Amino acid sequence: MSYPQSLIENATLTHNQHRTITMAACSTSLSATFSLSFRQNHPSRLSSLHPSFAPKQPKTPFSLPLKLTPIKANPSDIDTTYFDTIKANSSDIDTTYFDTTDPEEISTFSPPERPEDFVPPPSFDEGPFESEDEIARAYEELYGAAYSGETFLGNDVYSMDSKVKKTTGFGSKSKKEKIRDGFEERVVQVRRVTKVVKGGKQLHFRAVVVVGDKQGNVGVGVGKAKEVIGAVQKSAVNARRNIITVPMTKYKTFPHRSEADYGAARVMLRPASPGTGVIAGGAVRIVLELAGVENALGKQLGSNNALNNARATVVAVQKMRQFSEVAEERGIPMEELWK
Amino acid sequence: MTRRYWNINLEEMIEAGVHFGHGTRKWNPKMSPYISAKRKGIHITNLTRTARFLSEACDLVFDAASRGKQFLIVGTKNKAADSVAWAAIKARCHYVNKKWLGGMLTNWSTTETRLHKFRDLRMEQKTGRLNRLPKRDAAMLKRQLSRLQTYLGGIKYMTGLPDIVIIVDQHEEYTALRECITLGIPTICLIDTNCDPDLADISIPANDDAISSIRLILNKLVFAICEGRSSYIRNP
Repeated sequence: MSYPQSLIENATLTHNQHRTITMAACSTSLSATFSLSFRQNHPSRLSSLHPSFAPKQPKTPFSLPLKLTPIKANPSDIDTTYFDTIKANSSDIDTTYFDTTDPEEISTFSPPERPEDFVPPPSFDEGPFESEDEIARAYEELYGAAYSGETFLGNDVYSMDSKVKKTTGFGSKSKKEKIRDGFEERVVQVRRVTKVVKGGKQLHFRAVVVVGDKQGNVGVGVGKAKEVIGAVQKSAVNARRNIITVPMTKYKTFPHRSEADYGAARVMLRPASPGTGVIAGGAVRIVLELAGVENALGKQLGSNNALNNARATVVAVQKMRQFSEVAEERGIPMEELWK
Repeated sequence: MTRRYWNINLEEMIEAGVHFGHGTRKWNPKMSPYISAKRKGIHITNLTRTARFLSEACDLVFDAASRGKQFLIVGTKNKAADSVAWAAIKARCHYVNKKWLGGMLTNWSTTETRLHKFRDLRMEQKTGRLNRLPKRDAAMLKRQLSRLQTYLGGIKYMTGLPDIVIIVDQHEEYTALRECITLGIPTICLIDTNCDPDLADISIPANDDAISSIRLILNKLVFAICEGRSSYIRNP
């Protein structure tokens, strides 16, 4: 689709200044309607943050003049007896999104009606200029004194001090975070690593820590510091940042076999019957134990690097699916999966 | 989300030059659904889509403001710095118009330390303690203060991470966008033909070179924020 030619002619484009000169006032009004397309609803972070921000499902088209219907095959032509064995209910599968997504389609941009008493607001750099005092007062009404250093409304200027954890001084180093927020930490490996510089060797400690509650949430973290304790703390912080959930059955084991690799480490995980316990080596055992898995078999098939094996078990566990999830995705009852 | 009338008309946008893109050689092929034509070596964006996204963004911003969320406007191009500051002050939002320091959001605890220092220096300046120090120390502290004022002046009222971030040029503020993505903060971005539309949550294809186009879009968003705020004040 193209704009009316007269509009383009009105634009005086010189090759180098094309973008910064404003166009000559176009006299012709836009009479033609232009095309628009639906933006695909990619999974939006908005909805994960606030439920109110969930993207609206485009159930009705945005005022389409032409309604596009998908090309449906005539049911009598197809031999559907093969498909009858799979009892997928066609009403479960939602294909309405195919009705409206065609980037090339023609539709209109029809905003809501202009209310009669609508006054276009002044641009932000014209209009009454506010004094700095007024601005500061307005901000303070909204946000409190925060870090501005002055108050007009009588708020405490130092209100933000209490929110800072004191790193030095009297209040710090109190007995904090023994086992805060329910996660247990276990150190997989502490190594002394060296960086060689002109002056000699610089030594650091690198700690690999696995963090988990025994209810199915684990995380693996690494941290480096000059002291062992500092490294362990850093790695615990890191581990808490990437926590995953382990799919478990009611007998505290996996739903199915899984293999995964990370780097050169390959790990194979296999479910086991209750009473077996966790039969796995080193890093894999620690990850599974802290996840709360009680019966499992695991083997390190590739390298035996602790960090990479821990990460590989995490990847392997993420690949697993519960039976109910698979049944939902495929739209079939769970009994079908066990046939 | 309620859809309201935001006074978006296409003639206004063409006058401001919103439909110009960058040169043809510099485009990002992911922008092809939003580009309508190619004139004299420049891509022209499809303004109906721009209008649609702009109204969606305004609705979102209006909704968020009526729930009392915090906004941050980021724009560091020297041409747009002033308009960003004015727009943010008009809408009572936080803003960053000088360089976006790396880790401003992801390393929020360190940024908070700087803000504390800023606040303490301001207090000292107000009480006049700076004049009692020897000249060299006073000069150093004043320099620090002015530095903190340029970089952190717009966020001195920010107590925590913002809820929505508006970015003026995605190409320029790529670090800011990356930080928001890792933290999971929703973003509204002005996209030009050389940017990636999938990174931001709502991307508005527009011209980011011309001040008039940036001003137009910021005007609409600021208007939406103000309306939302006033409805929030009326019934919290």
